[in-house]
Amino acid sequence: MLYELSNLKKIYGKRAVLDLPHLSVEEGRIVGLLGPNGAGKTTLLEIFAFLSGPTSGEVWFQGKKVAYENNRLRDLRRRVVIVQQHPIMFSVTVEKNLEFPLNIRKVPKQRQEEVIDELLDLVGMWEFKHARAHNLSGGETQRIAIARALACSPQVILFDEPTASVDVENQIAIERIVREINQDKGISVIFTSHDMNQAARLADEIVFLFEGRLAQSTYENIFSGQILSGENGDPYCLLQNKVKLGIIEGKMGPVRIAIDPSAIQVSQTADDPPPANSFKGRLVQLTDEKNKVRALVDVGLPLCVLISKEDLAAMSLGMGSTVWLTCPPDSIEII
Amino acid sequence: MEFLFDSFFSAILLLWSIDPELVEIVSVSLKVSSTSTIIASLVGVPAGFLIAFREFPGKRMLITILNTLLALPTVVVGLFVYAFISRRGVLGVLDLLYTQKAMVIGQVILIIPIITVFTISAISTIDERYRKTAMTLGANALQTAWVIIREARFAIVAAVIAAFGRVIAEVGISMMLGGNAKGFTRNITTAMALEYDKGEFVLSVALGIVLLTVSFGLNIFFNYIQGRARV
Repeated sequence: MLYELSNLKKIYGKRAVLDLPHLSVEEGRIVGLLGPNGAGKTTLLEIFAFLSGPTSGEVWFQGKKVAYENNRLRDLRRRVVIVQQHPIMFSVTVEKNLEFPLNIRKVPKQRQEEVIDELLDLVGMWEFKHARAHNLSGGETQRIAIARALACSPQVILFDEPTASVDVENQIAIERIVREINQDKGISVIFTSHDMNQAARLADEIVFLFEGRLAQSTYENIFSGQILSGENGDPYCLLQNKVKLGIIEGKMGPVRIAIDPSAIQVSQTADDPPPANSFKGRLVQLTDEKNKVRALVDVGLPLCVLISKEDLAAMSLGMGSTVWLTCPPDSIEII
Repeated sequence: MEFLFDSFFSAILLLWSIDPELVEIVSVSLKVSSTSTIIASLVGVPAGFLIAFREFPGKRMLITILNTLLALPTVVVGLFVYAFISRRGVLGVLDLLYTQKAMVIGQVILIIPIITVFTISAISTIDERYRKTAMTLGANALQTAWVIIREARFAIVAAVIAAFGRVIAEVGISMMLGGNAKGFTRNITTAMALEYDKGEFVLSVALGIVLLTVSFGLNIFFNYIQGRARV
């Protein structure tokens, strides 16, 4: 195992931003940490990077328990490198930025030159070698930051929202680089994202985080709503003041609700009368995801659905098609 | 007003002729002030860095005291150091009084707070991400500190220049601890004070011009470095 965490807690002030009874990450894979803002993704990544320690609990790295008390963390840090969400460049040239980790590791000057050229080639930024690092755009900075991280010859690279602040062109390039790093160099990759599509495209395994805890389901269709009492006394949840979702039980008042995208049933027509919690919507997005297709349907709210490729072909659905979505009771969870 | 213009033209002539006495005086000023600025920087920059970076009890109090010391009058420093190095003082045996070393000691005490306080504020403005980035790239504590100081370099250089400007223009310490001995401890400011007492303005004005030129030159130099950094 690359990482094993047990009973890990990270507390800021009085708030537990991380509370993970157990989490293990395998070596050599691309692992995505998925969750909304404030889920504790960055905090967890900094613990993986040995930049900060847990408030309580244990971290095991490559089978050895991490000792936070003494000053041996630098040896661990030399095996793991983090690329932050908004990476910061030293206010010197791109070349000098890449030299920094090489100098620290006492790599001979001549070898440094080769490594730098090779890395700039990998991230497709060769022509920026002598540019001032502070003059680069967000995407360019991200790519140089990846090259700089690779100059550390790490065993693990951690990416915090690698493409959150870059344009589409750079996003494609960065995802390609991440794959290459993992496949060609055998470096384990852990990245955070709040974008399900990206996580699904890149990751071998996805870990879901929600409010500092591991989440069981994807918690993808998360909506804030209000539980109200209907005319006949049955409770229902009004999602974002737009959609009425029938629920079996729940306390009155504001809640957050998650609808499991793999449990939602899709059909082209509805029975008459339509079953409970059926919504008519328009298909607005389709994304390929391994053996399934992720569809985004506008039912007044954007609702994500996972459809098998066979079902999609059988229904011959296309962009703008009208579909009916039915959310069975077990697909709805109050969180 | 006329005497000022007369003195001014005579002063220009004096500068033009590279008067040996004037050169002597200016070199004492530059030598003493540069030495004290270098020593104070070697103490003040690391001290400022540590204070900015470490959390310890009494940190705020220390910063308040340092801020107060920014307004330290030169005559107070002069008096304080005099108490130690005069014949009756504990360091009297070292025979430091009325030497350039005594002037350096006083000037170092005067500007350590300036360099420390400005370094603290320079370091505090440096983004936390620089520290994390250096650490994740494998830097040890010293290498991480170097990264942060490098990012704060312009503000730190500005602090050092401000400190140099303070010591080259001060007169209290030089007079009380140096004693204005001709050829030994007479510097620009003490010489100006003496010439003023004598009612001789030509050398005073010439020295004043030198003093202003030095400051002007330093600022041009600083602007040049800062400008280069932005390219």
